[in-house]
Amino acid sequence: MATLSANCLVLMANVLIPVAILVFSLGFFPFKPLIPGLATFEESRNAPPKVFDKVVFMVVDALRSDFVYSNNSGFLFTQSLIRSGAAIPFTTYAGSPTVTMPRLKAITTGSVPSFLDVILNIAESDTSSTLAYQDTWLAQIRASGEQLIMYGDDTWLKLFPGMFSRADGTTSFFDFTEVDTNVTRHIGRELVQDDWSALILHYLGLDHIGHKTGPQSSHMIPKQHEMDSIVAQVYQAIEQKPHLQSTLFVLCGDHGMNDAGNHGGSSVGETSPALLFISPKLQALELDRRSPVDAVRELQYYRIVDQTDITPTLAGLLGLPIPLNSLGIFIPELLEMWQLGSQRMQLLLENARQLLKTIKATYPTYSFEDTAVTPSCHSGRESGVEKVHCAWVQVQTLLSIRDEVGKSSSQAEIESALLRFLKASQDVMSSAASNYDLKYLYTGICIAGLAVLLSLPATFGTLSRYQHPGLFLVAVILAYGAMVFASSYVEEEQQFWYWVFTGWTSYMHVKNFRFQHGSSSTATGLVPRFSLSALGRISAVTLAVSHRVLRRWNQTGQKFAAEPDIARAYFPNHQGTFWVLVVLTYADIYLHLAEGFPSSTLWVLTCLVVTVIAFAFKLVFAASESPELMNESITRHMATSLSGIPLILHARLVVCGIVILLILSTLLTRVERKSCKKPVSSSPVVHEALTLFLMTQSRATNVPIFLILRQQLKILASMNLTSVEILVTSLMMQYMTFFAFGGSNAISSIDLSNAYNGVGNYNILLVGILAYVSNWAGPIWWASASKVLRSKTAADESRTHITLLTFCATSTLLSVMAACTALRTHLFIWTVFSPKYLYTMSWVIIHHFAVNLLGEINLLFAVAI
Amino acid sequence: MATLAGPPAQPAAATPSSSSSSSSSSSSASANPKFAHPPVSILPSRFARIYALAHPALLLSLVAYRFSSVTNDPVAELLGDIPFLVGLQVVFVMGCLPPAGGERDSNSAITETTPRKPTGPKRRGHGHSAKVPSWSTGLASLAWKLTPALLSLTLTTLLATPILSFLLVLFGAPVTTHHALTFLCAAHMALLSCFPLIYVHGVDGNVWREIWGAARPTDAVWGGALGTCFGAWFGAVPIPLDWDRPWQAYPITILTGAYIGYAFGMWLGRVKGVFGKRINFAPGPEQVRDLKVE
Repeated sequence: MATLSANCLVLMANVLIPVAILVFSLGFFPFKPLIPGLATFEESRNAPPKVFDKVVFMVVDALRSDFVYSNNSGFLFTQSLIRSGAAIPFTTYAGSPTVTMPRLKAITTGSVPSFLDVILNIAESDTSSTLAYQDTWLAQIRASGEQLIMYGDDTWLKLFPGMFSRADGTTSFFDFTEVDTNVTRHIGRELVQDDWSALILHYLGLDHIGHKTGPQSSHMIPKQHEMDSIVAQVYQAIEQKPHLQSTLFVLCGDHGMNDAGNHGGSSVGETSPALLFISPKLQALELDRRSPVDAVRELQYYRIVDQTDITPTLAGLLGLPIPLNSLGIFIPELLEMWQLGSQRMQLLLENARQLLKTIKATYPTYSFEDTAVTPSCHSGRESGVEKVHCAWVQVQTLLSIRDEVGKSSSQAEIESALLRFLKASQDVMSSAASNYDLKYLYTGICIAGLAVLLSLPATFGTLSRYQHPGLFLVAVILAYGAMVFASSYVEEEQQFWYWVFTGWTSYMHVKNFRFQHGSSSTATGLVPRFSLSALGRISAVTLAVSHRVLRRWNQTGQKFAAEPDIARAYFPNHQGTFWVLVVLTYADIYLHLAEGFPSSTLWVLTCLVVTVIAFAFKLVFAASESPELMNESITRHMATSLSGIPLILHARLVVCGIVILLILSTLLTRVERKSCKKPVSSSPVVHEALTLFLMTQSRATNVPIFLILRQQLKILASMNLTSVEILVTSLMMQYMTFFAFGGSNAISSIDLSNAYNGVGNYNILLVGILAYVSNWAGPIWWASASKVLRSKTAADESRTHITLLTFCATSTLLSVMAACTALRTHLFIWTVFSPKYLYTMSWVIIHHFAVNLLGEINLLFAVAI
Repeated sequence: MATLAGPPAQPAAATPSSSSSSSSSSSSASANPKFAHPPVSILPSRFARIYALAHPALLLSLVAYRFSSVTNDPVAELLGDIPFLVGLQVVFVMGCLPPAGGERDSNSAITETTPRKPTGPKRRGHGHSAKVPSWSTGLASLAWKLTPALLSLTLTTLLATPILSFLLVLFGAPVTTHHALTFLCAAHMALLSCFPLIYVHGVDGNVWREIWGAARPTDAVWGGALGTCFGAWFGAVPIPLDWDRPWQAYPITILTGAYIGYAFGMWLGRVKGVFGKRINFAPGPEQVRDLKVE
């Protein structure tokens, strides 16, 4: 009776998990009120005249500052423009998440994108992320009756449906050249046309080179030369063509890249793209013209401006109203384009009024009307909205003085006061701390805590029976709970699991070694049993060796991500070894599949055919996705001869084959059950079929890992583990392999290369599932393997497993929620802790429910039948 | 480190005179055939008792004193520290521990199932009577102990250090870089943990099987060795943190952890109530093998 109620409590704990996540997310992902509609000039006759008529907006994806400004840059023409004064250089600060779509939102609306945009960036076709109904400088141009043209990344087309009169979207895939020539081929034609006001170019090639081969790649400098030649082409057109005479040319990166060539996080490399305003007219300004220069700090060249500053600056220069939700500040260097001080001030005042409106929308209860200087204003210690209020009061005071005294006296003073106000407002609005709903956060935590409490009685009952492994599990969970509070450990979570696993291996070694020597014999004098196999004695050592190899397979995290590893450094240089390992892995899977029903020729043949198709798919896919692995003549020859079949069809064939295998195995099991009374379990066959699917969904370089995993499983099977030991091992293996396959807690490490296998039309559910499978291949494999390990044990242990899994899931969830709440004002909350929360969500919701629990229930059913 | 060095005074002082743990290695071994290879006690001489307390404190102050220079130039400093470490450890094992096959023969010969070859003539009397050895016997015993000390030093260098280097790599030390540091780290750890073990137990396969299975009864030597390993394992924790301190570099924290663990383990191994205990796995009911402390 007691166990029954404990089981009910565990069930309730599981029900509470999604509730806790839902409530917590409501409070955690801040909702920023958007002001609808388009901005208009309040007094249009007062608006300062526009400086430029047209704009060529050229985005080079992942154009890090040093690619343009440093000594070994390929942008030689651009650097000569900086020296001539025709180009004004900046380094922009691109806040996290540093992925294309949120960055484009920041550049066009001037607002800081919410973290949810990251998720929507992955679900790229989601139309809710469109900016069609938001105020952007594009919408402003459009509203003034002008035309816009776009060539390049099709993210623009998704963000701005129907915005462009002419457009050609390029999709991001894995080639370096074609994606850019598809943009360049339009330029010459468009530069002679006179009908557009904005020409947007977005080049993806440089980013692809970064992702594939890193910023130090040999492809990088030629690509920079190519981009530089386009800058030259556009600039010369502006100089020579009369209709382009008043054209502003903006060259910028949407984000940078880290030393490994990836982006999404918040390292200096990722957040420091270049930004240049280019026009012959700008030579009138007296500004810093040195180039190339050394960075002031790491990757910080010239002055740093916020990425959102592009929006008001463009709006000002083109004579457009500043988009409503912009948080940007007009870049002061460009203010000098207006001769009259009153115009400059008017521009800043316009910017200030617009920013004040957005602040009022965010803080509806705060009153800015009260012009009496609050006593705290002079202390210098005021913060947040109060500081903004003080700055605004100061601006008001100066303005009223000006109106009384006369126009010219305090121009500079008002300008600096306005800029101070703008800066304070921008800081307040960009800081994340302002708008959490603490009520929801605490409720979510309480629900998660309740879930932990509910799972506690059953967990305690189980763990107290298994003293040491139980203690270890609790210690690991406590340590994990402490770990998630340290931002660097969240970034380097793999280190935690690798470290814990070495400890667990030592425990298993000691236990196994003693067990083989007979635990009673230690008491009576340790009579050594020499009958023991030498391998058995060091099986844990073998496990540790294989673990050490896995650890080096994919370097992940932040600190050491760029260091050489097996997948990205060793294999491209040792392709023979690599392909032999891949073939071995597929041969191994075939042998194990065939072992399921060796007497049935049909089965063995089907296995052979399916395995060969799966291998061929991997080969062709590798040829298109990672050509650096295909220098070997044999493999490349094989791949080209196979490339006749479209990849989508090929992927579908593999999946169909696996499904046929599963159906056939069920049929054969029935037949064998009828023919002989011996119970036949199909679970190993299911596991093998699953392995084949996981291999299909993994990067080619990760395929040989499955060979290692099988050896680990064999060692573990020989160790005679108790059910709690199996659970602890499986849990740790699940986390460990997630990182060994290249995963991390950064959004940038999500691997989408296999998410579209066999998907013709974009289907968010299907792509989501495939993306999950390809990123969680290791954990899924171990969830299934732990069932193989336990296949001989009773169904009762399944309940034990569910209990402990629930306890682990709820307590990790609770600790991550607590960390996110306690550190909500932390500098890294958006870059480290929120991604961690998102990952925990998928660990708990998808992995815990869909894989671990469903697997267990499936086992319960199988036993029941 | 006063707190660490303080407590052992009682058990250490208590052992030789009373019939507790250390002398019980003879008496209880005959009464209870639990230990074929009983735990090792610190020698009963006054020097041994005092130095066994001072030794961990000396080692830890060496670590504290050289810490900043280890951070500056780890390879040179770790290499340069080895003579000091060797000196301290040699003084410790020769002054405080019975050498393999020698000291224990006098009182455990009755229970030894496998006869041992005494490596030297039994010059030393029983521990109880030889509280103040005369100079001549002292010198002679020193000379007699030098051979096992040198032998174990050789084995530590040739065998234990490579094995520990391998284990360090298995536990996550860099494979392709930092070879000198890994080797030096292993050398330090081997000198801390394996050198006393080899000196005390020689190359007795059964004892080493117990060590490999972590099944030794607790004493200062085994406690120190286990402490070294645990300390090194816990020492890896600060490395991934983003504090950007020079001492976070591999293997400084690991080695510091090893030293602290050694000192702690040595102390804990002699605490009354822990001494002589060992972790055991007993097959529980329903074939569940629980881990229990005896």
